[in-house]
Amino acid sequence: MKKVSLVHLKPNHKGKVLEILGGMGLQNRLMGMGIYVGKEIAKLSYIGLRGPVVIRVDRSVLALGHGMAAKIIVETE
Amino acid sequence: MKKIYLIGNPNVGKSVVFSRLTDVHVISSNYPGTTVEFIKGYLSLGDEKIEVIDLPGTYSLESSSSAEEVAVSLLREYPKDEIAVVNILDSTNLERNLLLTLQLVEEGFPVIACLNMCDDAVHRGVHIDIKKLEEIIGVPVISTCAVTGVGIKLLIDRIKEAKPISRKKLSHDERWKEIGYILEQIQRLEHRHHYLREMLEDASVRPISGLIMAAGVIYASFKIVRFIGESIITKITDPFFYGTIQPLLEKLSIHWQEKSFVFHLLIGDLINGKIDFKQSLGLLTTAPYIEFGMVLPYVISFYFVLSLLEDIGYLPRLAILLDNLLHRLGLHGYAIIPVLLGFGCNVPGILSTRVLESKRERFIASTIISIGIPCVPLQAMIVGLLGVFGGFYVGGVYLVLFIIILILGFILNRLLHGYSPEFLLEIPPYRFPPLAMLARKLYFRVKGFVFEAVPIVLIGVLVVNILLYFGLFDIVTGVFAPVVHGLFGLPKEAIVALIIGFLRKDVAVGMLAPLALSAKQLFIAATLLAISFPCIATFIVLWKELGVKDLIKSTLIMLTVSIIVGTMLNFVILR
Repeated sequence: MKKVSLVHLKPNHKGKVLEILGGMGLQNRLMGMGIYVGKEIAKLSYIGLRGPVVIRVDRSVLALGHGMAAKIIVETE
Repeated sequence: MKKIYLIGNPNVGKSVVFSRLTDVHVISSNYPGTTVEFIKGYLSLGDEKIEVIDLPGTYSLESSSSAEEVAVSLLREYPKDEIAVVNILDSTNLERNLLLTLQLVEEGFPVIACLNMCDDAVHRGVHIDIKKLEEIIGVPVISTCAVTGVGIKLLIDRIKEAKPISRKKLSHDERWKEIGYILEQIQRLEHRHHYLREMLEDASVRPISGLIMAAGVIYASFKIVRFIGESIITKITDPFFYGTIQPLLEKLSIHWQEKSFVFHLLIGDLINGKIDFKQSLGLLTTAPYIEFGMVLPYVISFYFVLSLLEDIGYLPRLAILLDNLLHRLGLHGYAIIPVLLGFGCNVPGILSTRVLESKRERFIASTIISIGIPCVPLQAMIVGLLGVFGGFYVGGVYLVLFIIILILGFILNRLLHGYSPEFLLEIPPYRFPPLAMLARKLYFRVKGFVFEAVPIVLIGVLVVNILLYFGLFDIVTGVFAPVVHGLFGLPKEAIVALIIGFLRKDVAVGMLAPLALSAKQLFIAATLLAISFPCIATFIVLWKELGVKDLIKSTLIMLTVSIIVGTMLNFVILR
């Protein structure tokens, strides 16, 4: 089991959210979109080295800014 | 019941439900002190006419954005027993949509849940037990498909059943567990093989396939806009103007003496003894021809393609693909939407920069739009006048504008302090809009253009006409001659066109027609018109959105860029 940020998670791989490195503001925002500790998300792609990260949560597709993605730590094989 | 509120996640079809519930007369309002908009309309329930408010898209009642704060404030305005809350959910995405529903019910709001997009749900193999959901959460649940109208009547009938129920307030974790439990009870997912649609959705957000698709979409969009615009011109408006209007005007004009004021006002100057719609500058000749014969066809075709791209859901994908590039200019990927709107008319483009989170971004986006993005009327005239010299020149103007945007954005990004915050954007699935909705959107946009632009064009041509007749431009041309001729290489009369550019860009380009400019001169003049002072409508909007200080900054930037670019083009291009 590896711990990586969403930025380093490989495309087409899944991960379970372990930690969100941010304050209540960020956590609430992500919570509203369905991202919280324990949730499984799948990474679809990323656009360029510092571009947005595209993920799938349940059946919605979200794009996160690079900085935000770096603060979401997931557990993956 | 005093008010009905529509609340739900973005992209669930709230606007469509809203338009099904209310009549056409809809008022778009601003929550005081913010840039967040909400829409009001009226629903007739029995004898009563109740106000329906379409709240901005919300993910959760715990406000993390100004849109959410506004939604929550509005919901709390009236006592709970006097309102009804219609919570609209996306049936294909209940997992996340139910969060808001549970929060609303826990807070004691009288809720009725509307599971929208039932057709899409069936399509994607999502089966929901509506009755069971109603039992479990205790509020009325209706399945609807707003675009076809299925379920709307039932929704209207049952709105009165919405009443507050008591439900324990849960913590975040408990709530997600509850949602999981509910879904197990009511939702059955059928595995469907990947449709072409799903493959296209995935391909559009991956870097390589995404960029290829984006290039294809942009290219196709240009081609379609050009094709529809030109077709309307050659098949409908030109035959009408040359075949019907011209003979009519020729008959009418016999009644007036050629050099009389009335003649000059209505018909303008005769070119080679005939009425020339592009050059005569009369109220009955050039004014209607510019608006209806050159610009309106492109307004229709542009907004058709834009509305289609919007409704299909392609624009967020474009936003994330371009995010990297736009960051270099100090903007977000999402800024592509105001830019695209700016291609239609700078006014809605600049107004929609409100969606950008920081003042710095709004300033950069607004400045770039008013300098570098030509509006459809301007573009239509450029194509119409410069096109005779070949597509190369027309393409050249766009290229110069593009380079200016890149350089300007880059410089502004470096010079202005501040930061551009992160984004978090939902990418909706592809949904083909029903043609009726598309037609309606197009109708409103075109109608807006006709009612706003036409009066100003008439005034513009009237003013120009009078000033020309009385020879009042000569003073002005004398003063600016050194700049206009010395730096830009244009005949000094061209200053008139630049001044008219403050009023309307299309009329201004039209003013260049009688000057018999060479290709190079027309190229420079057209580019200058695009980047120099914005038209009055844009100027007013910039004033309102940026405030006086930033407006002055922006204007100075515009003037500086105009002088530099005009001079450079003059001395760098040889032919």
